[in-house]
Amino acid sequence: MDETLDIWFAEEILVHEAALVRYLGRVWPRSDEIADLRQEIYVKVYEAAAKSRPQSPKSFLFTTARHLLTDRQRRARIVSIEAVGDPDAFNVLIDEISPEQQMSARQELKRLAEAFDRLPERCREVVWLRRVQEMSQKEVAAQLGITEKTVEKQIAKGARVIADYVYGAAAAQSAGSVGAKSLHAGSGDER
Amino acid sequence: MSDSTRIERDAAAWLARRDADGWSQTEQAQLDAWLQADTAHRVAYIRLRHAWQQADRLKALGAGVPAGQIPAKGEWTLSPFVNRGASNEETAASNAAPPSRVAGAARRRERERHASRRRSLRAKFAAVAACFALIVALGFGWFRYSAVQSAIYSTPLSATESVALSDGSQATLSSDSRVTTTMSRHERHIELQQGEAYFEVAKDAARPFVVAAGERRVVAVGTRFSVRRESDGIRVVVTEGVVRLVSSAGAPAQSDLRLPAGSVAFSGKDGVSVQSLAVDKAEEYLSWRGGFIQFRDTPLSEAAAEFNRYNARKIVVADARAGAVRVGGHFRWSNTDAFVRLLKEGFSIRAEQEGDRIVLHSE
Repeated sequence: MDETLDIWFAEEILVHEAALVRYLGRVWPRSDEIADLRQEIYVKVYEAAAKSRPQSPKSFLFTTARHLLTDRQRRARIVSIEAVGDPDAFNVLIDEISPEQQMSARQELKRLAEAFDRLPERCREVVWLRRVQEMSQKEVAAQLGITEKTVEKQIAKGARVIADYVYGAAAAQSAGSVGAKSLHAGSGDER
Repeated sequence: MSDSTRIERDAAAWLARRDADGWSQTEQAQLDAWLQADTAHRVAYIRLRHAWQQADRLKALGAGVPAGQIPAKGEWTLSPFVNRGASNEETAASNAAPPSRVAGAARRRERERHASRRRSLRAKFAAVAACFALIVALGFGWFRYSAVQSAIYSTPLSATESVALSDGSQATLSSDSRVTTTMSRHERHIELQQGEAYFEVAKDAARPFVVAAGERRVVAVGTRFSVRRESDGIRVVVTEGVVRLVSSAGAPAQSDLRLPAGSVAFSGKDGVSVQSLAVDKAEEYLSWRGGFIQFRDTPLSEAAAEFNRYNARKIVVADARAGAVRVGGHFRWSNTDAFVRLLKEGFSIRAEQEGDRIVLHSE
């Protein structure tokens, strides 16, 4: 398939994941549905972009999100009025959505390191050896005395945790402290 | 399990399998089919793959960590660069891995490290013959009714050297440093003329061990400490015992300052400032002896000056913004290139080679 589309999607859409998830969290009352909503929005954006790339990817992403929510809400209303959020909330102007601060390379690195430290011990070892020390999965297995199948499983697990952090959603959901943290990052967060 | 969670799990499994050894064409065909079955599969896969590729940037944190070794959690929350402590080296040594190409590489590096240690040990004895240009001038004479031995020791840029002094003490000279020693019956007098030296002083209560640097003197009996000259003063680091910092030869006694182990003192024109640290933290100031320099929240301007103490190829910080960037970590002082590379990767710093200088700009 179209490799450039995949790259475009990663660089123009996925970078807004933290903002998107924040937006969804604010306007959609059922937090357990957010992952599904996000996926659905991504699918719509990706399919539309396959036909023609939108001029402003970020606006397009949020417009798609808003349409989807409105649509969902219409269907949901039949079930329960309480279940959905305030319809006006969807009509947020793109500019009002807290613009994703351009993360400095250092902040990105810091987030990555945080993600890495969140991994369970075994998983963390596997990811380090595979990704940083560039051992093959086979070599990682030999080094740690585990099966290659286990290595593969740990990598699958590690990739998911890291993705949540790289795109900032995990950090955005877990606490509002992310902003504060990155403020300190530039001025020496050593102690 | 929600739909998206299930898909993400599958996508992760594909990614990990794709990452494994012996990926076959059949598997590729299966993956292609899975990706084409549903756009949701594709976006989930792109998302994880992209993040996994990004994780490659952890390498910037892994610089200096020996092969086959995993840094402890939180080690880099201190800094964007990894601090590699002595304890890590022990872990590496005990990580006797089964024979594999990589374990071989790990052992090789381990060997190299040991070799370099052995080299520095041998150097203690064979330095004179070696190319380190250690100049030792021994003179014997009579002074104050007693035998006096004097010697001059110096190191060129980019070399450190350990020398045994005639009283049984040991001096380790940093890059581009020079000391003269005069051993009499009443005093062991060391003049630090340039650079930095670390002293492991043999106990001799009858003969104080005095290191003079400009107008300051550091007096010890039996202890371990370093003295270094800076453009506007001296720095004293004490790692064992107690030393006295005396403001100048013959100065009044009240200006004496006792510096216990863990002290890092800076004595300049405007007086003396003393930090009291845990001894292992104070030791960090002396990691140059093992070929390293260590930074903690250090402005880049200072870090660059530190590197420049050891290398002929100088780092020049072109603007104040770049100079104010804080860096931390454990670096081999001989490897300016690695340091500059990490700056480029971890910070918004641009580096230009200009002849024998590396000029750093903020972006």
